[in-house]
Amino acid sequence: MIEFDRVSRRFGQQDALRNLNLRIDNGEMALLTGHSGAGKSTLLRLLLLLDRPTGGQILVEGQSTEQIKGAAVGRYRRRFGVVFQEHRLLFDRNVRDNVALPLEIAGFSPQEANRRVRAALDKVGLLAKERADPNALSGGEQQRVAIARAVVARPEFLIADEPTGNLDPTLSAEIMTLFEAFNQVGVTVLVATHDVSLIERSRHPLMTLAAGQLTQGEPA
Amino acid sequence: MTQSEKRDTERWGPWAAWRAQHRAAANNSWQKLVMQPAVTGVTWLVIAISLALPSTLLLTLDNLSAVARGVDRPSQLSVLLTGDSELAVAEQLQRTLKNWSEIDDVVLLDRELALSQFLQQTDLAAVVGSLARNPLPHTLIVMPVHAASETAMTALSQRLQEQPRVDRVIVDTRWVARLETALQAGWRWVLGLGVVMLMGAVLVLGNTLRLAIEARKDEILVVHLIGGSPAFARRPFLYLGLFYGVGGGLMAALLLGVMTWWMTGPVNTLFVLYDSPQKMGVPGVLYPISLIALGGSLGLLSTWLAAGRYFRQLVSRSSP
Repeated sequence: MIEFDRVSRRFGQQDALRNLNLRIDNGEMALLTGHSGAGKSTLLRLLLLLDRPTGGQILVEGQSTEQIKGAAVGRYRRRFGVVFQEHRLLFDRNVRDNVALPLEIAGFSPQEANRRVRAALDKVGLLAKERADPNALSGGEQQRVAIARAVVARPEFLIADEPTGNLDPTLSAEIMTLFEAFNQVGVTVLVATHDVSLIERSRHPLMTLAAGQLTQGEPA
Repeated sequence: MTQSEKRDTERWGPWAAWRAQHRAAANNSWQKLVMQPAVTGVTWLVIAISLALPSTLLLTLDNLSAVARGVDRPSQLSVLLTGDSELAVAEQLQRTLKNWSEIDDVVLLDRELALSQFLQQTDLAAVVGSLARNPLPHTLIVMPVHAASETAMTALSQRLQEQPRVDRVIVDTRWVARLETALQAGWRWVLGLGVVMLMGAVLVLGNTLRLAIEARKDEILVVHLIGGSPAFARRPFLYLGLFYGVGGGLMAALLLGVMTWWMTGPVNTLFVLYDSPQKMGVPGVLYPISLIALGGSLGLLSTWLAAGRYFRQLVSRSSP
């Protein structure tokens, strides 16, 4: 479970987040929306320990992230699979090596890594393009490779920041279907998006951020 | 480590995983090096010159210092009598000087004997024959009691100079002093040059590595965001720096060999001029080993310096 307990983040005189309360239960899939500057990226940065709150605390499975420091930060981040808007693939590696990167970091054996990479690519429908150069893939395919990379190490949480920002509606729907598929096997999913069509179609809980506070979806 | 990771790394073994990560990083860095032969070649050459030039100068100075050490301090003085001094006067002075407490022995070189030796050793018999009289003076070779200091030798020289019928006293210590001073200055100059050249190599290498890091900043950010440790992100660059440094060190060892061969002729001529039986030594095995070790250390140091601040900047700018 991810829980934000009265979390604030202040930059000088500016509040990016103000006493934010948020809860995502294990196995849940939630959407986070809000205009640019509403605090979505700040929230994700705090969750991934790329930044620290100036007030309140973040609890992940009951453990405060405040206590996570040094080498433990890397181990903590490996519990998350992250999908970025610009997918951030490495273009000097082929599809397989891109997807294998989290397994290389975690120290998986080559046999196990190979098995998992193939399974992840199969799941996103790109097994046939295992040896392809990412430059040769379409935008939707590149995003699917990024999703395969995010889930290959079987993380507890899947975080996506504007994952459909550069895709057309059909591809966006495909990507959301993939997230739902991972959610159905028990992965907790948080998707930050301001794609209205995606939000309208979704049947998952929606949290709306405005001026650093949740205006919709705050836990009771 | 997550439960899932724990299960798999237990099967694989953390030590094996660590070795595999190093192998992958080293292999990846080597591939990058091979793919840019021009950059690699120039970087190796810069390091090689920075290491080989001071090393060659050090080797040369080392050899010349051996010559200076090998030269016996003149334990004797040559006392030249005036040209009109008779043999009897010379023998009288020899006896007088033998009684001096600071003098161990005095040998008389008869000018007639000296002339005959001179004629045997040169082809100047006709020239000498045309002279009205023997131009060589009687000479006394004075050997002090102990290997005297330069000051004592100078004092003795002055005292001898004051004796009647003494034309000139020769104490040839100044060239040794000059050589030693020149060598001391040479050592300092070479050490200064070496430090400056090594700093230059670190800066060039640091800049090359900074460009390499800049070119792979996406990879660093992704590794950082998906849970790679700073050590994991830094590792390929450390190997890159190590390969640059070791390659440069190897090339420096080759250059040192070539430059030593090139310097051997003039240095050996210098040895002959100073009557030294010594020959310029070829660099021992310690030289190439030191150059390679120094190159590797420089590579690692440069990466550490280049990567440290740059990594922090990159990571602080990162966002999901």
